[in-house]
Amino acid sequence: MRALFDRLADALERGVRGHEVIAATLEAEASEFVRINHGRLRQAGRVERAVARLRLVDGERQALHAITLPGLDAGSEALDAAVVAAIGSLRGAIADSEPDPWLDLNRAPVRSDDATPQRGFDRAAFIDCVAAAAGDADLVGFCSAGPVARGFCSSTGSRQWYLRSRVAFDWSVHLPPDASAAGERRAVKASWSGETLHPDALARAIAASLADASVIARPVRRLAPGSYRVLLAPQGFADLLDLLNWGGFSARADRSGQSPLAQLAAGRATLSPLLTVAEDLGTGLAPGFQGDGYPRPRRVPLIEHGRFAGLLVSPRSAREYGLESNAAAASEVAESLRVAPGELPPEAALARLGTGILVSNLWYLNFSDRPAGRVTGMTRFASLWVEDGTPVAPIEAMRFDDSVYRMLGDRLEALGTAVATLPADATYEARATGGVEVPSALISAVRFAL
Amino acid sequence: MIDAPLRVRAPSAGARVAIRVVRTQTERLMVRRSLRMPIETTADAGAMVTVWRRHGVGYCASADLSSAGLDAAAQVADEWARLAERHGVFDRVELDAVLDDRPLPDDAGPHGEALPARPDLFGLLHAESQALACDPRIVSWTARLAVTRGEQALQVDGRWRVRQSRRYVEANLEATAVDGPVSQTRTLAGQYNGFARQGGFEVIRASGLIGGGARVADEALQLLAAPECPSGVYDLLLAPDQMMLQIHESIGHPLELDRILGDERNFAGGSFVTLDMFGHYRYGSPLLNVTFDPGVPGELAGYAADDDGEAARKVWLIRDGVLQRPLGGGLSRARAAARGVVLEGTANSRAVGWHRPPIDRMANLNVEPGSASLESMIASVERGVLMSTNASWSIDDARNKFQFGCEWGRLIEAGRLTSVVRNPGYRGVSATFWRGLGAVGDATTVEVLGTPFCGKGEPGQVIRVGHAAPACLFRGVDVFGGG
Repeated sequence: MRALFDRLADALERGVRGHEVIAATLEAEASEFVRINHGRLRQAGRVERAVARLRLVDGERQALHAITLPGLDAGSEALDAAVVAAIGSLRGAIADSEPDPWLDLNRAPVRSDDATPQRGFDRAAFIDCVAAAAGDADLVGFCSAGPVARGFCSSTGSRQWYLRSRVAFDWSVHLPPDASAAGERRAVKASWSGETLHPDALARAIAASLADASVIARPVRRLAPGSYRVLLAPQGFADLLDLLNWGGFSARADRSGQSPLAQLAAGRATLSPLLTVAEDLGTGLAPGFQGDGYPRPRRVPLIEHGRFAGLLVSPRSAREYGLESNAAAASEVAESLRVAPGELPPEAALARLGTGILVSNLWYLNFSDRPAGRVTGMTRFASLWVEDGTPVAPIEAMRFDDSVYRMLGDRLEALGTAVATLPADATYEARATGGVEVPSALISAVRFAL
Repeated sequence: MIDAPLRVRAPSAGARVAIRVVRTQTERLMVRRSLRMPIETTADAGAMVTVWRRHGVGYCASADLSSAGLDAAAQVADEWARLAERHGVFDRVELDAVLDDRPLPDDAGPHGEALPARPDLFGLLHAESQALACDPRIVSWTARLAVTRGEQALQVDGRWRVRQSRRYVEANLEATAVDGPVSQTRTLAGQYNGFARQGGFEVIRASGLIGGGARVADEALQLLAAPECPSGVYDLLLAPDQMMLQIHESIGHPLELDRILGDERNFAGGSFVTLDMFGHYRYGSPLLNVTFDPGVPGELAGYAADDDGEAARKVWLIRDGVLQRPLGGGLSRARAAARGVVLEGTANSRAVGWHRPPIDRMANLNVEPGSASLESMIASVERGVLMSTNASWSIDDARNKFQFGCEWGRLIEAGRLTSVVRNPGYRGVSATFWRGLGAVGDATTVEVLGTPFCGKGEPGQVIRVGHAAPACLFRGVDVFGGG
C-alpha cells in the first residue's frame, strides 16, 4: 500500500501546472470480512479499495474530487491517467467556484511514517477456529482483518503515512428467547483483536464468552420505568460518549447552535469534577495528521474536572470563526477520546453499585433535546439486575431518557480505575481508525422511561 | 449503460460466477452562511465477483477491472465459497436455485428534466441562502443540492442478467436559530438528509427549495419563541416526513428477513417478528396497508431488479393490518425454506456499492393512502399534536421500543390546529403502536420521500430507501417535549 501511496504522490506532482497546488488524502484497505451466524459462516469475502480525495487549489479557489483508484496494485501509468482525469474535473469545478475565505491547506513538506507490518490472514484457520470453539452455541459475530492505511500527500512535497494491520473479531452469544418474558432476547457480547490471528487465544476468548453466558440463563427481569442506580461498563460509557461526540466537541457545531454540550461550552452548566476528557492520540489508534496536511497535537483537553476546557478546531473552522486551530479533522469529531480513570477498582464496582443495573452496552442513542444535553437510548446485551452487589438476572431492554448534565454531573459517583481501550469498529464505507479509552462509570440515578 | 462484458475464468469446477459492476458520479453544491462552498465531486467504479457453489457463496471486490484482476478476485471468492460449504449456514440450502441468469431488459429509470448548469444551480442556492439569513438570531444556514448518477450491471456466468442506471437528486435548506440557551433547527426535509428522489430538475421543484428559504427561517424563529411540547397522552397526527421514519424503523427493519433469521443480532439487531407470524399476525389496525413498490415514479429506491438479479415488483407486506410477507430476497427465502418455512418475499437483496455484498434491505416501502382528508383527521381530534420532520430516532435492537423526535409540532385542540410547540417527541412500542392507527390520509396527503442514509450490515452499508406515505392519525400516544 505504501508503494501505491508513493505512486499517487508522484502522479500528483506530475499533474499540476503553474500556481496550482494539489493535495490528496488516501484511504486504502485490503479487508477480509467474515460474518458468523449460529456459529457458522454466513457471508465472507474480501474488499480491496483505495480512495484518493484530491483537492486542487488555484489562488483563493479550491475544489474537491474523490476517486477510487484502479486497484491496490495500480501502476504509475494507470494512476497518471486517473489523476489527469481528476485534475481536469477539478479545473472545471474551480472555474465555477468563488474565492473561499476559509481555505487552509498546509503547504509545508511534512514527512512522517507510522506503520506496523502488513500481515496476512489465514482464512481457513479463522473459520475452523470459530466453528470448533462455538460448537453448538448460537454465536453471531463479525471479523474484519487486514491492513488499513491513511495518507496525506501534496504537490508541495508532503508525504504523511499511517498503516495498521489488525484482526478484530466481535461477537455475541445468544440464548434462546425467554418464553416467560414475551420472548425477550438474552445475549452476551465479547471481542478479540490482535495484529495477527492467534487461533488458540481466540478459542480461549470464545470459550470464556460461552461461560459468561451462564449469567444470562436466568429468567429475564422486567423493570418498571423509573430511576435506577447504574454501573455503566466501559463499552456502555463509550456508547454514551460516541453520541456526545456527534457535535459535542466540535467548534463548528458549537458556533452553529448544534452542539449537545453547548451549555458546558458557554459556562452555563458543568459536569462532575470527576470527569476529565481529552482527544489523545497517544494510543496510536488514529493517524497523527489530518486532511489539510497538518500534524495533530498529541493531546487536546476538552473537559477538565467537569469544566469546559476546549473544542476541536479544524483549520477551516479557525478561519471561519476567528479561532485558533488545533489541527482537528474537518469533521471535528474526536478520533481518539480518552477519559481519565477514577478511584473505583473493578473488584469493588458491583458492591458500590449495591442494588441497580449493570449496563454492559448502550444502543441506538440519540438526542431527546440536543441543546439541553438530553439523550435517550437502549440497554443492550448482558445488562443485569444487581442486588446487594450480586448480579441476579438479565433485564428486559430498557429505554433511558435523561440529561448528560445530571448523569455525568452531580449523579456521577465514581469512575473506574481501569481504562479499557476500545478500537473503533465501524465499517461504513471504509474500516475506521481511532477508538476510545474509557473507564466504567457509577451513576446514582438514571431515568428510564420505557 | 455499462456495455463491455467482463471476462473472468470460472475458478473451479462447479462454480458459478457473478460479477456486479457499479459506477457512480456525485456532485455536491452548497452555500453556507451565504458563501459558495468548494464543489465536491466523486467518481467511483469497481466490481464485486461472487462465486456461488452448491452450498456456499463467497465474494471479492476490487476496482481492478482487468481480466487478471477479476480472475484473482474470483480465486479469493472461490476460497471463501469452499469454506462456506465446509462451515456455512447453507447446509440444506440449494444456492443454485437462487441465481437466475436469464436476461432482463435494460432499465434507465425516470429520465427527468434536464438539470441547469452549475452557475444556475448555485444561483438558486444563493437566493434561498439570502432568504434564510433574515434575522441575527439565525446563526447557521445552508442551502445544498446533490446529484448522483449511478449505473450498474450484473453479469451471471458470462452474460448480462440486468443493466440499470439512475439519477438521484437531493435538495435541502437548513436554518438554526439561537437565543441564549435555546437553539432550534428547522429544515426543508430533515437535518440529516434532504428531499431525495430519482429524476432531474422536477425533483428540485417538488422539494420546495425554490422559495423555501423564507419559510424555513420563519419556522426556526417561531420554534425559538414557542413553548415546549407538553407531556402526556395525546392523539398524534404524523405528517409524511415523520411517517417516513416511523415506517422505516418500526415496519421496515423488523420485516427484513435476514434480521429475522438472526444475521444482524451482533450489530443492527434482530426483530420482534418471527417466521411463524406471516399470513396471520395483526401488525396494525385494519387501516394499515404497506407495500414494497419499486415502481413509484421518482421514488428514491426504485429499480428493475435487485443485486442478486431478481426482478422487482409491487407486493403487499401488510394488508388490512395483517402481516403478509417479509422483506426477504432470494437467498434469505431459500434459507427460510430450508427451515421448512416457505415465504413469498421481495426483490430486495441490495448492496450500497461494488465494495459491499447484498443483504436484505428496504427499498421503496410505502403506506398506501386511505380515505381521510387532512381536515377531517384534525377535526376528529380533541387533544392532540401534529408532528413534522424527523429530528431524532432511537429504537431497540428488536425494533420494538422506540422514541422519535420531530422539528415541528402544533397542538390540536378541539378539532383545530393551534399553537406551535418545540421539541415534540413521542414514544411507543412497534408491536402495539400500529394497532392504534385511527385514520389514514387520502391520496392528497401523500408525499413521496426517501433518505440516502439507511445503515445496516457487517461490514456496514448506508443505502438509499424510499418511503411514500399519507398523513396518519394515531390514538393515545405518549408525547413529550424537551428540557
